[in-house]
Amino acid sequence: MTAVIRAELQRSGRRRSLLIAVLAALAFAAIASTSVFSSAGTTITSENGQGATLADLASAGGGTKAFAVGASFAGFVVFVLFIGLMAREFSEGTFRALAMREPRRVRIIVGKVIGLLVVALGVGVVAELATFVLSLALAPGQGIDTSAWFSLDGLSAAFGDLGTVMLGVTGWALIGTALAVIFRSAPIALAVGFAWAGPFENIVSRSWETGNRVFPGRLLAAVMSGGTTEVSFGRAVALSAVYAAVALGVSLVLVVRRDVTS
Amino acid sequence: MGCMTPASAPSVLSPPNLSASIDPNVQPVVSVSGLTKRYGQRTAVSGLDLRLPRGVVAGFVGPNGSGKTTTMAMLLGLVRPTAGEGTVLGRSITEPGAYLHRVGALIESPAFYGSLTGAENLRLFATVGRHDDVDVEGLLDTVGLGDRGRDRYRTYSLGMKQRLGIAAALIGDPELLILDEPTNGLDPQGVREVRALVGELASESRSVLVSSHDLSELEQICDWLLLIDGGSVVYQGPTRDLLDGGPRGLAVATEHEHELAILRSVLTDDGFAVDARDGALVVTAAPGGSSDPVALGAAINRNAFAAGVTVATLQPLRTTLEDRFLDLIRGGTS
Repeated sequence: MTAVIRAELQRSGRRRSLLIAVLAALAFAAIASTSVFSSAGTTITSENGQGATLADLASAGGGTKAFAVGASFAGFVVFVLFIGLMAREFSEGTFRALAMREPRRVRIIVGKVIGLLVVALGVGVVAELATFVLSLALAPGQGIDTSAWFSLDGLSAAFGDLGTVMLGVTGWALIGTALAVIFRSAPIALAVGFAWAGPFENIVSRSWETGNRVFPGRLLAAVMSGGTTEVSFGRAVALSAVYAAVALGVSLVLVVRRDVTS
Repeated sequence: MGCMTPASAPSVLSPPNLSASIDPNVQPVVSVSGLTKRYGQRTAVSGLDLRLPRGVVAGFVGPNGSGKTTTMAMLLGLVRPTAGEGTVLGRSITEPGAYLHRVGALIESPAFYGSLTGAENLRLFATVGRHDDVDVEGLLDTVGLGDRGRDRYRTYSLGMKQRLGIAAALIGDPELLILDEPTNGLDPQGVREVRALVGELASESRSVLVSSHDLSELEQICDWLLLIDGGSVVYQGPTRDLLDGGPRGLAVATEHEHELAILRSVLTDDGFAVDARDGALVVTAAPGGSSDPVALGAAINRNAFAAGVTVATLQPLRTTLEDRFLDLIRGGTS
C-alpha cells in the first residue's frame, strides 16, 4: 500500500500541483480571515450559527478560529474533489492500469485515499498557518489582543481545529470515494453526490429537522464546525464514523468483487 | 481453393523459426484449461484450453468479440473467470499478485494521467509496481518517445499514447508481455516500428502474447499462434505448421491472355489439379498428386512449351494467415 501512497504523492507533489494547492490555501485563508474578522461582533448573527465573536477571537483559539470557521464550508469542496478524482480513475482506465501492477485492489483504493488525505492535510496546514498570519494582521484593526494565541492553549486549539477539520475531510473523502466506486463515472457520481449533499439534504432538513441529525452531509458539516445547535460534536463524530465505515466497506467490497472492465 | 492467394512480396520481418526449439517439457508461460467467462446470458469465453510455450511470440487471433481481450484480462487478474483454471508463469491465475510483477501488459487502450508527462506517468506506474530503479529515459527511447517524455500525456497523439503504453508494459523487464492490439491507431510507419519492436523484445528471450486484427502483421512477427472464435480455440501451435498446412502449388500466368485457356485445357487433360483465378491459373497438384513446387513448375513448363504457350510467371502459392484463419473458423477446429 505504501507504493500506492508514494505514487499518489508523486502525482500530487509536482510543482504545478503544489503551486495550485498553495494558492488555493492562501485564497482560502484570505477569504476566511477577512470574512470572520469583518463579521465578528459581540454575538454571532449568522443564520446557521457559524462564525466567531470578538471574545472567541481574543481567546487562545482565536488565531485559528477563522480557519476552523472557513473550513466548515469547505467539506463539500473536498467531497466533490474526491468524487471527481476517484471516479476518473475508473472512467479513464487508470484504475485498470494500476490494478495490473498492484492486483490487491484494496491497497489501491486505500492507498489513494490515504495519499490524497496526506495532501489534504498539507493543504490544511498551509491554510491554517496562512490564516493565523492574516488573523494576526487583522486583529489590531478589531482591537483584539492576540497574546493568548501564543500560549500552549493556543497551540492546542490550533491542533484541535486541524484535527476536527481532518476528521470531516476524511468522512467526506470516504463517502465521495464510495460514490466514485459505485458509479465508476465522474459525471454520474458527481451528479448524484451533488444532488444528495446539496439540494436534497438542505431541502429535506428544512422541513424535517431530524435530517440535521441523521443525514451524512449535515453530520459531517457539524463535525467540521465542532458541533452545531442541532447535533453535538460527539454525536456527529460517532454517526459520521458509521457512515464513513459503511462507505469504506462498500467501496472495498465492490472494488474487490467487480471485474475491472474499463 | 478459394482461400489461397498468389505469392506476394517477401515480408519485412520473417517469423523467427523458434518453434523448432520449443521444448514441450518446459513449463509453459501460460496454461489454462476450461477457462470460461459469462456475463449473464452471454458467454465471452467458453472452455478455453490453451498453452503458451516459453520464449515465443504468440499471436492471439480472433474476430471482434471472440474473447481475446476478456481472456487477456483474466490472465491479468482483472476479470474473474466464471469457470476453469490456469497458470501464468507457473502461478495460479487466482493469485495474480504472485506473478503480475513479472508480467507487462497493454490491454484495451493505454490509460495514463493526462496532466502528467510521459516520463512522470512511467515513474508513477513503476512506483506502484515497486520498480523504483526503472530507467524511464531508456524506456522512452526504446519506444521512440525519447524527445517527448517531458510533454504532457494529454498532448500525445494516439500513436504516441500507444507507444507509451508499450513502454509502461516494459517496466520491470517482464518475462511475459501481453499486448492487446498494440498497433491500434498507429500510422503505417508506426505499425512497422512497433512490429519491429515486438520482434526485438521477443529476441531477448521474453515470451510475448500479442493480439491483433491485422493478421499479416501477426504472420510476420509471431512464431506461435492462438486462434480463437466464439470464445473457443480453433488452432494453437507453430505459425509455420499452420501455414504449411494450407494448400500448396503454383500460380501460373501466360504471356498472352488467350493462352491461359489453352494451358488450362492441356494441364487438365494431363491430370493436373487446375483452377483459374484473378487472371492466372492456380495449379495445386501434378498428375499423381505431387505439389512439390520445383517438380510442378518443371511439369507445367514442359506442357506449356509442348502446347506452344509461353509461361510469363510461375509463382509459388503462399497461404496467408488470413486464408488459414478463415478456413479454420469456417471449417471447425484444427
